[in-house]
Amino acid sequence: MMLSIGRLTKRYDSHTLFDLTDFSLEGATAYVLTGVNGAGKSTLLRVLAGLAPAEAQDVQFEGRSVSLSPYPSLLRQSIVYVHQHPIMFSTSVADNIAYGLKARGESHAAIKQAVHDAMSWAGVRHLADNNPATLSGGEKQRVALARAKVLHPRLLLLDEPTANLDGAAREQVIALIPTLIHAGSSVVMACHDRDLINLPEVQRMKLRDGKLEMK
Amino acid sequence: MALWEAVQAAFALLFTGDPVLWRIIWISLSTSMLGLLIATPVAVAGGYAIAMHQFPARRVVIWLAQAALSLPTVLIGLLLYMLLSRHGPMGGLQWLFTQSGIVAGQVIIALPVLLAFTLAAVQAADPRYAETAITHGASRWGVMTTMLYEVRFGVMAAVISGFGRVVSEVGCAMMVGGNIAGETRTITTAIALETSKGEFAQGIALGIVLVTIALAMNGALMLLQGDAHAAKGSA
Repeated sequence: MMLSIGRLTKRYDSHTLFDLTDFSLEGATAYVLTGVNGAGKSTLLRVLAGLAPAEAQDVQFEGRSVSLSPYPSLLRQSIVYVHQHPIMFSTSVADNIAYGLKARGESHAAIKQAVHDAMSWAGVRHLADNNPATLSGGEKQRVALARAKVLHPRLLLLDEPTANLDGAAREQVIALIPTLIHAGSSVVMACHDRDLINLPEVQRMKLRDGKLEMK
Repeated sequence: MALWEAVQAAFALLFTGDPVLWRIIWISLSTSMLGLLIATPVAVAGGYAIAMHQFPARRVVIWLAQAALSLPTVLIGLLLYMLLSRHGPMGGLQWLFTQSGIVAGQVIIALPVLLAFTLAAVQAADPRYAETAITHGASRWGVMTTMLYEVRFGVMAAVISGFGRVVSEVGCAMMVGGNIAGETRTITTAIALETSKGEFAQGIALGIVLVTIALAMNGALMLLQGDAHAAKGSA
């Protein structure tokens, strides 16, 4: 078991968005998280990423007891979250992908090699020196995936990775997802996209009425 | 002296390198720049911290900072005068009627401008910048530098506005500096003095300098912002 949470509750004043018991995620496994709009899919990902507060009891990460608030560095180094509409820092594409590695203090040579590999993986090498503001939605999503992948996260949280993408851009993003799992990361994708939901070897979870159903 | 003659004399003073005039300009620019240099890191860090964190009395702090924007500089001068006067709590510093005293005033005047502008810029920034930085492992310092880089034009506007406020204020520099020729006479205090004497040439020359500084700094900011907008617009 990579991550297990005895009880996870998210409330807004008197309204309970979700109240999950025995929530768990396995290592190197892909999950799709479905549910109607407003069910709390994005909020659940944000809670797991330490971006939103929630009440959590008995949290274990890779056998170690941790808390979600304050968010520990172990989780910060292991879990990466990608927004539905990823934002790019106003540097270059290559610098965006290198961001997390620089934050970790990796060597210049290691960063250069990792960024090169990640750009090749995402098919954005030709955009290395471009201003990210000039990228299309699909290119931004692929750069965001590369930016997350270089950190080799144990858990990658993707919020609607194909939302607002169509045609080739959507297919290019979908093609990258299985390779993330094969690289050893667990992936949780909040989505409505049938092609993502129907990917082989993907565990399906559904948030309904504040509870999580495994399918 | 007729207006046209005064303008001609003003340009003559400027272009003949009149030492008195250029000494005044130097004192004004050096004290303003030093005040800004001291105030900027404090105010930018403060504005960022207030924008990014929730804490008790946060709204009161914002209210006070914004209220301080409209505080008359002559009142700041009065308070500083009392603090720095020989029997005041900071009299031991012996800063009254010195350039150090003027710099202290400039710092107090610039702080709320810089803080309020930085606060507004960070608050207006897309929260995904900070969230992306955090979830990609940036330290607190890393998140701050990333955010400030993303709102750099807002911060530059803050610095330019702060500089404009300190270089053009007269009340505090007059009271704390004392308008001593060659020592604490700044552009604005000199303009006030020369005008009261009915000698407009030096005042006009100094006014031209002030306007030139304002045009140059705002022009530079517009050029930088124009480049940024052009890059975004080509998306």
